[in-house]
Parts: sequence; C-alpha cells; structure tokens
Amino acid sequence: MQEKDSDSEITTEPVVSGLSRRARIVRKLTFIIPVIILSLIILVAIFADLAWLGLPDVRLAPYDPIEMSLPDRLMPPFWAEEGSTEHLLGTDKMGRDILSRLIFGARISLSVSLLVILITSAVGTFLGIIAGYLGGRTEAFLMRITDISMAFPPILVAMLLVVSMGPSFLTVVLAISLLGWAPYARLIRGETLRLREMDFVAQARIIGASPFRIMFRHIFPNVINPLIIIMTLQIGLLILTEAALSFLGVGIPPPAPSWGNMINDGRNLVDTAWWISTFPGIAIGLVVMSGNFLGDWLRDTMDPRLRQV
Amino acid sequence: MGRFIVMRLLQTVVALVGIAMLIFTLVRVSGDPALMLATATSTAEDIQRIRVNLGLDKSIPEQFWIFTVNLVQGDLGDSLFKKKPVTGMIGAALPNSIKLVLPSWAIAMLGAVLLGVLGATRRDTIWDNGVKFLAILGQALPGFWVAIVAVYFFSVRWRLLPTSGLGGVDHYILPVATLAFFLLPGMMRLIRSSMMDVLDSEYIKMARIKGLPERIIIWKHALRNALIAPLTVAGMLFAGMITGAVIVETVFRWPGVGWILVEGVMARDFPLVQAITLLVAVLVLGINLLVDITYAYIDPQIRYQKT
Repeated sequence: MQEKDSDSEITTEPVVSGLSRRARIVRKLTFIIPVIILSLIILVAIFADLAWLGLPDVRLAPYDPIEMSLPDRLMPPFWAEEGSTEHLLGTDKMGRDILSRLIFGARISLSVSLLVILITSAVGTFLGIIAGYLGGRTEAFLMRITDISMAFPPILVAMLLVVSMGPSFLTVVLAISLLGWAPYARLIRGETLRLREMDFVAQARIIGASPFRIMFRHIFPNVINPLIIIMTLQIGLLILTEAALSFLGVGIPPPAPSWGNMINDGRNLVDTAWWISTFPGIAIGLVVMSGNFLGDWLRDTMDPRLRQV
Repeated sequence: MGRFIVMRLLQTVVALVGIAMLIFTLVRVSGDPALMLATATSTAEDIQRIRVNLGLDKSIPEQFWIFTVNLVQGDLGDSLFKKKPVTGMIGAALPNSIKLVLPSWAIAMLGAVLLGVLGATRRDTIWDNGVKFLAILGQALPGFWVAIVAVYFFSVRWRLLPTSGLGGVDHYILPVATLAFFLLPGMMRLIRSSMMDVLDSEYIKMARIKGLPERIIIWKHALRNALIAPLTVAGMLFAGMITGAVIVETVFRWPGVGWILVEGVMARDFPLVQAITLLVAVLVLGINLLVDITYAYIDPQIRYQKT
C-alpha cells in the first residue's frame, strides 16, 4: 500500500460519497451483517467441542454428531407437531441430531476452505508474480497452464483421486488445491504486469536489487490488497465445491457431518423429512452469501479497479 | 494467422500428452487398483491375476506406452464394472448429456443477456436490484440443493412433473431449468458489468450525440462489444457447465456422461473415470484453442506477439 498510485484513490472517493444516505447505510450493512454471520460461524466451528483443548466432554453442540440413536430417528424440528426441544432442528434417519451435525459440519467446511485458501493463494501468488515479472517464455508457459487449470472442473480431479486413493479429508483438499491456484496466478500476474512498469521498481533495479528481491520485497506488498479480496471471494466458491463433492460421494467420507453429506442423506427423504436437507442447504447459502458480500465490499472499498474479478 | 494456428495446435497436442500423463499418474501412483478390486476373500494369487489382467505388473513407463498406443487407436480399455469398452459406454451416454446441456445453456445465455442488459441500463432501479438479488441467490445456493427442493415441490408435492429419468418434454423441464439456474448468475453478472463498462465508453457517447435511438445503441452497438467479455472466461464457464451437468444428472438420474461417471466412481471403475476425464481434457483444450484463435482474429496484435 505504500507506493500506491494516487488515481485509484481519486476514483474511489466520489463513488462512495456520491451515494445517498440510505444507500450508504445499506452499504455499511453489506459489510456488518456478513462479518457478524461469518464470525458467529467461525466461533461455532471452533467451540463445537473442546477436544482440541483436551476437554472432549465440553461442547457447544448438544449431541455427538456421529452417535446414532435409532429410537429418536426422523424427529421433526421443535416447532412442528411431534417435534421436541430435545432436538431443536430434528434428527435424521439414524437418529443423529441435525443441529449438532450442522455445528460440526461448520468445522469441516471451514477447515477445508481455509486450508485450500492457504495452499492455493501461496502457490498462485508465487507463480503469478514470477510470470508477470519475468515475462517471455516463462510467462507464456505458466499462463497456458493457468488457462487450462481454470477450465478444468475440480470435481473431475476429485473423482480421479477418490478412485485411486479413496475419499478422505486430504483427498478433498488436494483435489481442490490442484487447480485452485489458477485464479490467483491470473490476477496476480495482471497486477504484477502493471506494477512492473512503475517507478519504484525501476528505482529498485537501479540500486541493484536482484529480481527475486524486487518480486518479493517490492512487488509482493503491493498485491496484498487484491490478494485479500480474491481470498475472501473464494470462501463461498470453496464451500460450494466441498459440498458438491461430498454430495456426489467424493468428498468428506460419511458419517462425518459435512454439509454436503447431510444434504445427500436427506435427498430421498424430502417428502417425509424435509428438515434433513433443508437446514444444511440454508447454512451453505448463508456462509456463501456472507463471503461473497464481504468480498464485494472489500473490493469496492480497497480496489474498485478489480470489478471484473 | 496460419502460422499462429499451427503453433497453437502443436502446443495443444503437447498439453494433451502432458495431461494424459498426469491423469495416468494420478490414477496409479497413489494406490494399487488391484488391491481395491480385490474382495475380502481374495488370495494373493487372485490379486496377482488381477494385476496381470490389467497390465499392472509391468513397469510404469511400459504401462504408459501401452496406454498411449491404445489411446491413439481409440481404445480406452474396458469398464471394470460393466466389462464393456468404455468408449462405447461414453458414446451411448453423450447424446443424452448434450440434449440436457444445450437447451440449458441456450436458456441461461438468453436469460443472462436479457437480465444483464436490463440491470446495466437501469442501474440502481428496482429492476437492477432484482437482477442483483437473483445473481446473489443463484451464486450462494448449492445447485444440487436447489434441484432437490425443486423436485420436492414440483414432483412430490404438486405432482406436476416427473422426478427423474428420460422421457417426453415434461422430463426435460426440471433438469433443464435447474441447470440453467445454475449457469445463469455467473454469466449475468459478467454481462451486466461489461455492459456497464461499454455504456460508459466514448463511442457510445458519440452514438448518442449522433442521435441514434437508444434501442439500437444498446442492442447493437453496446451489446456486441459487451459480449466479448464472456469470451475471456469461456474456460471458467465451461468448467461450471460440466460441474452443473454432473450434479443435475445425478439428482435427476439422467443417463448422461455425468451419471455414468458418478456410478463409475462409486464402483471405483478407474478406466471409465480416466476415459471421461480425458474426454473433458480434450474439450477443455479445444475450448482454449478456439478462444485463442478468436482472440487473434479480433485483435491482430496477439497474432504477432507470442507465437
């Protein structure tokens, strides 16, 4: 953010201050509400239980998410007839508590997304800066691979891996990461191309900084803004991808309570037990929407040039 | 231009070989397919026999050579599960997939253009907000969940439409609608924002000064240029389409490539999964090639820049 060109600031200001009072409040809300929802879900995921502190019996979730209890099977949510407050959101066909599974499911969905974001942003940024700064054949080669990776559906990679390794948490993370670096590489390369022509890079070159130093000490700090924006925008996409993989049976293996698994569990029971599939669907929708809103807000605030991302 | 196309074609072939090697390795290096096919009662000799049958007893480079030779001859092996050549299975399922994807794609594209232009030309009105709301919802709700909810209301509750399978026109409505709804938001957002950029440009102002009717400015001058934007993300749209098709075919038990793929994964039928992945890889490379050539055609600078 040091050495940032001044005209992007000039273009940001009128956009925001030109809004009416009402529009400004709405804009603020599109930041506050997603932040609240995301923080709540992150807290819930962390405190689902305290096994990681050595206290497996202390938990936020009312029940164990995997333990079956056949007498309690297919109980509706508490407000429906025959529902009880023992199971607030009802139970599935194995008598597992839906609310507890939702809570532990948040942990799975978020940790997959977080891990994938860490891996892909690191790889993508590295390749993007290298392609943008070095140019020439390196760039042509890297961008060709990026284009191919972006057009390849991650579901297929996951399926290939599942066929050979079997489904697991690791397979999912690996499958999504294998292609997921491409959008970062594409965006960061574009930014690097722009930054490369700027005076501070020329000055660094004049004082004799090595290409490596220029790329990672001078250019990298200037791509952090777009990087944060795209990382936020990726949250939703990753949650949806993980859910789709689990739904198709190539994601997190059951009985683990992934949201996609839960939707799959209730798939053939929608007419008798609508609540099994409905609540995880809403949970996914909420998180994805929050991530997208927050990403859009960050982009409009930090870097409106990136509207096309 | 000719030289450019030849170079690109060569690069595509190289990329295809690379991807074939990658797929081949991914399937083999990470696990022993023979062990997965073995049942609890299989003896060591049984497993060895499976290995020999599949050619897995040979060295990896040797296996790759056999794989490539067969591939060039159009032989992608037999399905482990159905004991039939996988090319035949894919060939039988492909028309069904195309029958699903083409109408969905056409409807989604048409809807995206109409709604995207509507949003861009009536910025910040109730129309624009409606379009934005639809995009937000469509991008946040998982496609398979929307499909399940649609089945619940239209098939189970109101009994208007069949739940699954092939058949008459009524069998198409739900799958096509869900797939179109899955594809629409991304395209719509894209067309809306590129349309907004184009409408801000100098030549549109010029057209207005000349006094051209707004209708012609929007639908002829602006839209033509706004439609170039989706080209830049054609690859991503394609990936989304494949994902959507696999999900919709699974939910509606539509006998297309996506459905046999999911069945193949469940049965750990690696020749089948490998073949379908290769097919998609060929399509992906083909699309990238087409986009490149179209670009070079539109913008001559590219032709000379990086051949």
